[in-house]
Amino acid sequence: MIPTLLKRSVLLSILGVVSAGPLVLFAQSADAVKQPYQTERANSGTPNSDVVKKDANGVVTSYGNSSIMYNAPSPSLINLGRALYMQNCASCHGNEANGVPEGGSSGAYPALVGLGPATINFWISSGRMPAANPRQVQAMRQKPRLSDAQSVAIAAWVNSLAPSYPYIPTPNLATANVSNGAALFALNCAACHTIEGIGDALASNTYAPSLHNIPAYQVVEAIRIGPGNMPRFTGNLSDAQVNDITKFVTTYISHPQNPGGLGLGGLGPVAEGFVGLALGVGVLAIFGFWVGEREE
Amino acid sequence: MTDVLETKRSKKLAKGPFGSVGHALNELDDRLGTAKVGRTFLDKIFPDHWSFMLGEIALYSFVILLVTGIFLALYYIPSTAIVTYKGEYLPLYGQKVTEAFASTVDLSFAVRGGLLMRQMHHWACDIFVGAIVVHMARVFFTGAFRKPRELNWTIGTTLLTLAIVNGFLGYSLPDDLVSGTGIRIAYSIILSIPVVGSYIGFWVFGGNFPGTMVIPRFFVLHEFIVPLLILGLVGAHLALLVRQKHTQFPGPGKTEENVVGTPMFPVFMAKTTGFLLLVAGVTALLGAFAQINPIWQFGQYHAANISYAVQPDWYMGFLDGALRIWPSWTFHSFGHTIAFNILIPSVILPGIVFGIAYAWPAVERKLTGDNAIHHLLDRPSDRAVRTSLGVTLLAYLMMLFIASSTDVIANFFHVSLDAVLWAMRILVVLVPLIAYPMTYKICKEMQNFKGAGKRKTTNVVSRTTEGEYVSAASPRYVDDIPAHLAPIPVPTYIEEVQAPANDADGNGTRVVDR
Repeated sequence: MIPTLLKRSVLLSILGVVSAGPLVLFAQSADAVKQPYQTERANSGTPNSDVVKKDANGVVTSYGNSSIMYNAPSPSLINLGRALYMQNCASCHGNEANGVPEGGSSGAYPALVGLGPATINFWISSGRMPAANPRQVQAMRQKPRLSDAQSVAIAAWVNSLAPSYPYIPTPNLATANVSNGAALFALNCAACHTIEGIGDALASNTYAPSLHNIPAYQVVEAIRIGPGNMPRFTGNLSDAQVNDITKFVTTYISHPQNPGGLGLGGLGPVAEGFVGLALGVGVLAIFGFWVGEREE
Repeated sequence: MTDVLETKRSKKLAKGPFGSVGHALNELDDRLGTAKVGRTFLDKIFPDHWSFMLGEIALYSFVILLVTGIFLALYYIPSTAIVTYKGEYLPLYGQKVTEAFASTVDLSFAVRGGLLMRQMHHWACDIFVGAIVVHMARVFFTGAFRKPRELNWTIGTTLLTLAIVNGFLGYSLPDDLVSGTGIRIAYSIILSIPVVGSYIGFWVFGGNFPGTMVIPRFFVLHEFIVPLLILGLVGAHLALLVRQKHTQFPGPGKTEENVVGTPMFPVFMAKTTGFLLLVAGVTALLGAFAQINPIWQFGQYHAANISYAVQPDWYMGFLDGALRIWPSWTFHSFGHTIAFNILIPSVILPGIVFGIAYAWPAVERKLTGDNAIHHLLDRPSDRAVRTSLGVTLLAYLMMLFIASSTDVIANFFHVSLDAVLWAMRILVVLVPLIAYPMTYKICKEMQNFKGAGKRKTTNVVSRTTEGEYVSAASPRYVDDIPAHLAPIPVPTYIEEVQAPANDADGNGTRVVDR
């Protein structure tokens, strides 16, 4: 009896040590010094730029540089924005835009206060919000239900609750270097969106969307705010680099150069194998059937 | 002397019926005895069936591969030296790339006809391997690998292996993002071999991945060594085919002792030349109108870069699929790691599949106890077990092949990637298990189906004067009546003297006629 108990206690203690190991590691990582590229969500895109414009009250109205200018939505749109918000957004995100916490019967919805106008503008102007199906794991891009001006107005009202960054960007594509953009795209974006920018399925019902035919300002917004599963690229990409990527995405990704004939959907060897087997071997087998004899 | 008038016509007649060409051939025959060999070759009888053309697709796409490959070799630089790209494609301008990548982009854009040649080369490769697989399936299901042709089956399986290997090597040469990922995976597969893996990896790559040696080495292998092996084995394959004579389907007048078909010249030669042109035409059309492997869109490979949705060319798909769906099993202990999640799907599994392919003729001889020589082919449905086993293996490989595009399926049909992954894990076991009994049942049904595989004749329905309808089978097509199958003597035109095997003086010296 005693040896059995002893065995059990020994086993339990080993189990305890084994399970405590990861906890210790987690505890250590909690205190770890933040790397320079990790920034707080609230201060992402803080105006540390060449050009910073302020209004009479000292509130920053726009900031940026020769590559990208970030503009605050006009305060005159706040009342319109509030009305639009109450019609289209408040049923889920709440009247104060502070969201619904987890545990409620209707599910959890994120707070919008402090996210910055670019975030609000991106989700609405890309047609993801108002969500067609709020229970969906990932809202997909679709035809926008609100106009660009209306989405800016809603951003103006949400921003008036607690002013925050980043503002709505306007990239200056004329100064961009498309070759730099292509190299940065291969390094930072292709891992999910594919090198041809056609998008692909990620784990558990999430998708990296296609990057074809997306307005330039939305590309910058997505890089700076990191919607959904996408990482936010703040400290590690300068405005000039984001501008380069945006130029590449809106030109060569949206309109790929296919001098070799039909692009086959940018699907790579999957489509090529299908064509090679069906149109190559298949057609040649039919020719062989034509040339050769049939059973008598 | 002068009773024959020397005219242009008489001079021409004096040269014989084939003029100066005939004269030259006569001279050649006097020295090398080509007439006898040539006559035997031109009279060679080839049985004709459309499925015998499948191997020819492979042969002729290999010819296209050689021709286009020589063109590409003139412009491609097998070097990993870093240069600054200053070519035509703007998104690459000024980027640091390897000479291998730059020269491939340049031969696509700056060399006249270069892109067409590159695309034809790549399409011909896809067709080459595809045709080998289809040809192999034909040989398997009709039992053409049986005695005495086991050696040719072995050569054919080796050819498939070499074709896949060379396809992968050639795919890697441009040093673009997608092919670099493929080399990375190949390196990891080598590393997964227990104990010796890291040594083999360093030996092949001349150090750690990626290094600078791999492109030049792959070039030599792809360009020189493997094609030479393939060329030699193709020669052996065809020589054995001529030596052992082609198999034929059973039919009226066809026996194990004879060969029924059309002579090499002129019928078969006309057909096969036409078919060469058809293969070349389809490849050229694909090369001209369907873009393949646009490396300028992928960019230079850097070890830090990765693109999602990267698949290998289709013939490596079953390996990629197996890697994707295999559970993540690894073993760490005693300071060693054995990566079963890579070792099993990418080393052991293809080893088993190709092992089965190599061993099958011997295995079947053992199982059936059939040690006889076969020249007549089987109808696949008459060999239900063999056909079902073949379909089972093909279904298994097909499922692995489909599993290599899990992400594309998930994205296209908008279902969760996890669901697709688990579906493939189940289907890869389930589908072969269902394929066997289904095929077996269909084979058994077809065995009982009268006239299966025979050319159908129409039924003639006629109405008698009494108003009764009568249905009767129409007579067979005139072509189908095997009247022309009576063997005819083949004229040789060459007097052959039976050489006596004499050894008169008994000292081992034998006199034979020239």
